[in-house]
Amino acid sequence: MIKNLGIIGAGNLGYLIARHAALAKISVSLYDVNETILRRTIEQIKADIRKAVNLGKIPQEEFSKIMERIRTKTNLPDLSNCDYIIESTIEDLQVKQDLFKQLDLNTKSSTIIASATTIFSITSIASTIRNPERTIGIHFLNTFEPRSIVEIISGHRTNPATIEQTKALMNSLGKNFVIVKDVPGFISNRMLNVFFSEALQLLDNNIAQVPQIDRIVKTIGGFTTGPFETMDQIGIDAIFNKSKVIFEQSFYDSRFKPNLLLKQMLESGIIGKKTGNGFYAYEMK
Amino acid sequence: MKKKITKLNTKHTKKEIEHAKVSVKDIKESTKKSPPIVMIMGESPMVEQYAELCAGHGYDVYVCWNKPHENKFVFKSNKIKIVKVIPKNISVTVELTNTDLLQKRINIENISKAVSETTSILSSSITVTATEQASWIIGRHRLVGISALPAFVEKPLVEVAPTIYSPKETVEVVQRFFNSIGKEIEIVQDRIGMIMPRIICQLINDAIYAINEDVASPQDIDNIAKNGLNFPSGPIELIEKIGIQQIYSVLKALQNELPEERYRIAPLLKQISLTGEWWKR
Repeated sequence: MIKNLGIIGAGNLGYLIARHAALAKISVSLYDVNETILRRTIEQIKADIRKAVNLGKIPQEEFSKIMERIRTKTNLPDLSNCDYIIESTIEDLQVKQDLFKQLDLNTKSSTIIASATTIFSITSIASTIRNPERTIGIHFLNTFEPRSIVEIISGHRTNPATIEQTKALMNSLGKNFVIVKDVPGFISNRMLNVFFSEALQLLDNNIAQVPQIDRIVKTIGGFTTGPFETMDQIGIDAIFNKSKVIFEQSFYDSRFKPNLLLKQMLESGIIGKKTGNGFYAYEMK
Repeated sequence: MKKKITKLNTKHTKKEIEHAKVSVKDIKESTKKSPPIVMIMGESPMVEQYAELCAGHGYDVYVCWNKPHENKFVFKSNKIKIVKVIPKNISVTVELTNTDLLQKRINIENISKAVSETTSILSSSITVTATEQASWIIGRHRLVGISALPAFVEKPLVEVAPTIYSPKETVEVVQRFFNSIGKEIEIVQDRIGMIMPRIICQLINDAIYAINEDVASPQDIDNIAKNGLNFPSGPIELIEKIGIQQIYSVLKALQNELPEERYRIAPLLKQISLTGEWWKR
């Protein structure tokens, strides 16, 4: 049973993990170098819990107990008492490797260190640590859905005890999980990569236009959104960067070759819904 | 490319265009008179699915099957009859073979000889292009490609691929026919795999690669697809719904047409298609 959970990075994912953990009666040390982000995240969690109390989902007397379980930290050595740490920093391999190196020096050798990476190999991230048996990857998907699913990524040297503790933690946080091998893109990104790249190939070959492909995929395939709508929602930048990482990590296997159109869109600043322009045009609020 | 198609389209003979115009008139007329007749040939379960769909929308349906002793098809509707010989008084014919291309060619040739030159031939064109199929017959203006895979027959939209020989009148007949059975159409270029079969079969192929590489279990792959990516079905459970032979045929045709690494068939998928069973350690 994990008693003290460390979370590095108080962004969207850090906020969600901290909230779930506090509700699951786990003490949380929420670390970020930016105190403003930390304060904002705590306020956000407070507001969520208060709302749940007002709706009668959580007893009033629980409110302060839940909030007391979350402590903010701005010094990494302050996480030394944690028995499990999840890092959810920016998607930059070097940043994550440097962080793991520091955690190696500032944590107990029994502390499990997980990376909530969405794309990088956990074996690569953990290459800077002396005992990578205690490292693991956790890819959170559909994070805002209740009982959402995570991919637990077992690195090349991850030991079975680390996997078991991670499964137990995910159960406590109310997450479903699957265990996947540490391969480029894991399962989810790999599947999305095929979904997007095949749609892009069809477009490149002028077999059908963007709205046609989306309509066919939704109406015939039963998908909620078409591939181009989904790419616009996620962001062309994120899609292209992930496809590049998968391609590089696969030693440039041409099966995973990134798409030129995506590169050109990215270079032209056309990166999807967030900028009002992607495969479709959007009205900016 | 567009210019090239325009140029080729101008090569329709007057006779072909006249026949196509008559065909439009025929189907318009036939919908006013006694129930129009649709003739269906091809592979199970698409034949049953299309036959029931057409019968459910008021068509009399002939399913041409020249090996009745095999008793292959089972139908619910009494508007569906199994015949050995292709009848002549047909409004529309639908050919639904994807896996056995030799049999498909025989079917298409027989249909083209048996039915009138004004009868449209709608043929599944996901494993061989409609243009290639049209080149097998005389009266090639009659043939239009459609996307047909078992899991998608009952959906309210169908992909339609006119050939370079198809005058707009033939496409009008196709549109009218599909509207009459409750479907809209989306016109796409005549290419192997068309849109949905190509995307779905590629997803399945990659999922099989992942299983072969021990990345995750089949159940976990489906779990991630449905609950992590909000896909309507997992790629592995789709194998059951579509049929491994259908999937293999689409992938094989894609691999032949597009000799790129991304269309390489997973060896395990080939083994499953040959043995009909999952590979076991």
